[in-house]
Amino acid sequence: METKPQFNEEELVAKAQQGDRNALSQLVVNYRSRIYHLGLRLTGTEQDAEDILQETFLIMVKKIHQFKGQSSFYTWLYRIAVNIGLRKLKSKPHKYQHVSIDDPDIEYISSTEIADWPDFDYSKFARKHLRKKLDQLIEKLPDIYRTVFILRDLHELSTEDTSKILQITPSNTKIRLMRARNYLKEELEKIIDKEGLI
Amino acid sequence: MKNDSELYKQICEYLGCDLDSGPCKEIQDHLAKCPSCEVYIDKVKKTVHLYKEIENCDEIPEKVCQKLFLSLNLNEPKTNESKTGADNHDFQRFRH
Repeated sequence: METKPQFNEEELVAKAQQGDRNALSQLVVNYRSRIYHLGLRLTGTEQDAEDILQETFLIMVKKIHQFKGQSSFYTWLYRIAVNIGLRKLKSKPHKYQHVSIDDPDIEYISSTEIADWPDFDYSKFARKHLRKKLDQLIEKLPDIYRTVFILRDLHELSTEDTSKILQITPSNTKIRLMRARNYLKEELEKIIDKEGLI
Repeated sequence: MKNDSELYKQICEYLGCDLDSGPCKEIQDHLAKCPSCEVYIDKVKKTVHLYKEIENCDEIPEKVCQKLFLSLNLNEPKTNESKTGADNHDFQRFRH
């Protein structure tokens, strides 16, 4: 879905590059929520998300003159945030043991996928409880899969932009996304069975 | 008709794309007569949908915003639109 932007971003970036502090402030307003939630999803903690937010915009303010417009501004900004987030993840032990993810087995799929999920009743699950379960699942994904899922499915970036941000090929992005989605589906299925949602 | 292995690779490619994008006809034909694949894709779609339902990228704690502008030594713009409104508007530009 496209809507007409209420401001011209190119102009805003150009002004910010010339040191216009109001333009810099406006760019922060435009992107702060998404960068914060990206950090929250990547690291799973509010403190880390706040650190990522601050570091990202500090770099933006310091290095915006280096932005050449070869990608869109948000691709440039997301790349900074993702790099900070991944660096942060590497520096600390993970809360969960990462799962091993392989391609789903075609024989397995064809023998088990006959049972459909009807429109199950989400209200049976307390929203907070469901969110906790889903958060735990996503945090178990290895970083290379989780980042793709977050950017593509939760932040709705295109395959092309996701590939640029993560500096991987579009094919690689698609494969990682497919594996992440499949893992989450399998695990959600277990939760649904266990909690009696159907 | 391709064999299972070739078809499977294409389905994987398809699943890595936008779930509503136009898939190749051969996969569509296969899916139309293969309940297992249809159910599989439907479940993946529902999983992604559920994650989107619980995700709320519009909110950011006020305290975090204040600290951010303080650390950047910038003034938060005064606007009639709420913070989340401004963020929300721009977010529409991301959607594909």
